[in-house]
Amino acid sequence: MKLLSRKRINTLLVNGALIAICLIALIPVATTVLISFKGEKDTIRKPPIIFPCDTPTSSFDLTACRWAIEGYLRVLAPKPTDDGLLPFTLTGNMVRVYIPNSFLYATSTALLVVLLAGMAGYAFSRYRFRGHRALMVAILAITGVPLLTNLLALYQMGITIRKAGIPFYDDRLFLIAVYVGFFLPLSVWIAKGFFDAIPRDLDEAALIDGCSPFGALLRVSMPLALPGLMAIFLLTFVNVWNEFIAGYLLIPKNELKPAMFGIYEFLGQNIINLQVIAAACILIALPIVILFIFARRSFFSAMVEGAVKG
Amino acid sequence: MQATATRRKSKSRFRDTLPFWLILPTILVLLAIQVYPAFYTIWLSFHERKPQGWEYVGVRNFQLLFGMGIFGESVGHTIIFLVGYVSLTLVLGFVIAMLLNRKLRFSGFYITLLFIPWIIADIIVGIVFRLLVIPDYGLLTGFLGNPALFPPDGLSVLTAVPPQPWLGEFPFPPAPAMTYLILASSWRALPFITLLLLAAMQTVPTEVIESSRIDGANGWQVVRRIMIPLMLPTLVVAVFSLTLSGMNGVGMVFSLTRGGPGSATQVLSYTLYSLGWSQLDFGRAAALALLIAVVNWALIMATLRVTRVEERNH
Repeated sequence: MKLLSRKRINTLLVNGALIAICLIALIPVATTVLISFKGEKDTIRKPPIIFPCDTPTSSFDLTACRWAIEGYLRVLAPKPTDDGLLPFTLTGNMVRVYIPNSFLYATSTALLVVLLAGMAGYAFSRYRFRGHRALMVAILAITGVPLLTNLLALYQMGITIRKAGIPFYDDRLFLIAVYVGFFLPLSVWIAKGFFDAIPRDLDEAALIDGCSPFGALLRVSMPLALPGLMAIFLLTFVNVWNEFIAGYLLIPKNELKPAMFGIYEFLGQNIINLQVIAAACILIALPIVILFIFARRSFFSAMVEGAVKG
Repeated sequence: MQATATRRKSKSRFRDTLPFWLILPTILVLLAIQVYPAFYTIWLSFHERKPQGWEYVGVRNFQLLFGMGIFGESVGHTIIFLVGYVSLTLVLGFVIAMLLNRKLRFSGFYITLLFIPWIIADIIVGIVFRLLVIPDYGLLTGFLGNPALFPPDGLSVLTAVPPQPWLGEFPFPPAPAMTYLILASSWRALPFITLLLLAAMQTVPTEVIESSRIDGANGWQVVRRIMIPLMLPTLVVAVFSLTLSGMNGVGMVFSLTRGGPGSATQVLSYTLYSLGWSQLDFGRAAALALLIAVVNWALIMATLRVTRVEERNH
């Protein structure tokens, strides 16, 4: 009698290999989490230790672990207050300035991209007009253009606009416009793909029933395209949140710069306080990782639409 | 009567031009943020900033740029980086996609876990990898610094000087920091490439593979003679997209090595930054940006060609 067939062994081996790959892939993340929960004394040990759990007598003792949240406290810098909902306020620059800035940039860019890509994607999916194909190919080509080579020109444009003294003008508006310009082309393609998947008959039925084309877009296609638009929102939000170089260079005032600049600044200030750097990394990356784990279907659907096109 | 006719006419005109109005905002944004700056960069590369304003200098910026030692050096570093980054990511992505390309109960779980590196910002990935090898305190420092494993006196990734080049000035073999930068960059790009290759792999008909197996082909022959030819367009797209992201990504260099030690990891993208914003030499930086942009455009056009050929064949 054969207990394990060849096929069974094969599956076990593949699963084992994949588990091993996942573990190896996540080692850098795991070590950063561990460092962020160590006290300063344990981060500067020689030789370095993985777990802060050793005692003079044994190398690993679970009861002797010296977990610390010192790193997080130094990033958040809570100060006690009497008024307000919480008994303390967070005074660290990261939470008070940089993360709200990133949130503002990411949210407003994502909303604008969803709006514009939704409109353009719908038009490309539902109408055939002169130059349709050429425009689509042009947008596809622009999708590949990286930010880096345009940064010099954008930087100069920023200076010119700032000097022009337009009332209510703010460098933040310019940065958001740049982000929209860079994350829009891919989103137009993704949106077109999502609209292509919605049957045209529904629009036509609405038109026959006396709905205007714009009304058909608003009342029939948009609600059906909502999951797709949500995916575009999430993808753009994460892209802007993770973007560093444009936020760093196009905003002159430090208090308007995003979180990725904040972490870069931290790296310069805390060369030896590893637990502080690690805690700052975790605080900035964790919301995005959680968002991804809960909305992974949404991300993958957008990527499948976008990836095929490069 | 007349009024309703005109209204109907204007309404139908609106109806006919609706796609135009829907696309117009996108086109305007792209013209302002993508097309105009591209032409502006070309203009900048032929000018130099003088106290009284910009002055036309012809191709002098390019001559100056080519005359700089760091230019040739960063071209070499970029080539080394790209070859290592693209081949490592592609091979690993192919292997992991092969493992995932079968009915597994937990494949969704694996893909989610494997995808976490992709969702982390490049600047944070750079810091995470930096923490691992930071002199004295990094967790890998002890292992790498062991003289028995890395003769003669152990390896300190962030400070080790590059070895003597074998061929003239070309920076090969690369400095340990460069190898490490390649590893960190691949780590982050791997999930996306794996998924791209997995999607292409799933379109390879299983009957073809099975019948070739029956005809006596071994695993390697199946990969070489069937899978790679059938996946070729996707593989080419993957190579181009990796080259594009590798040549233009700068966040990882910023937080992992800042071009160092010395200039051992100074790639073209970082040279562009340091020319433009450390040395404030916008003319030369624009000349370099233009050169990188030309390569980018060639890669984009090649990608479009490959995907269009593929579309036509389907």
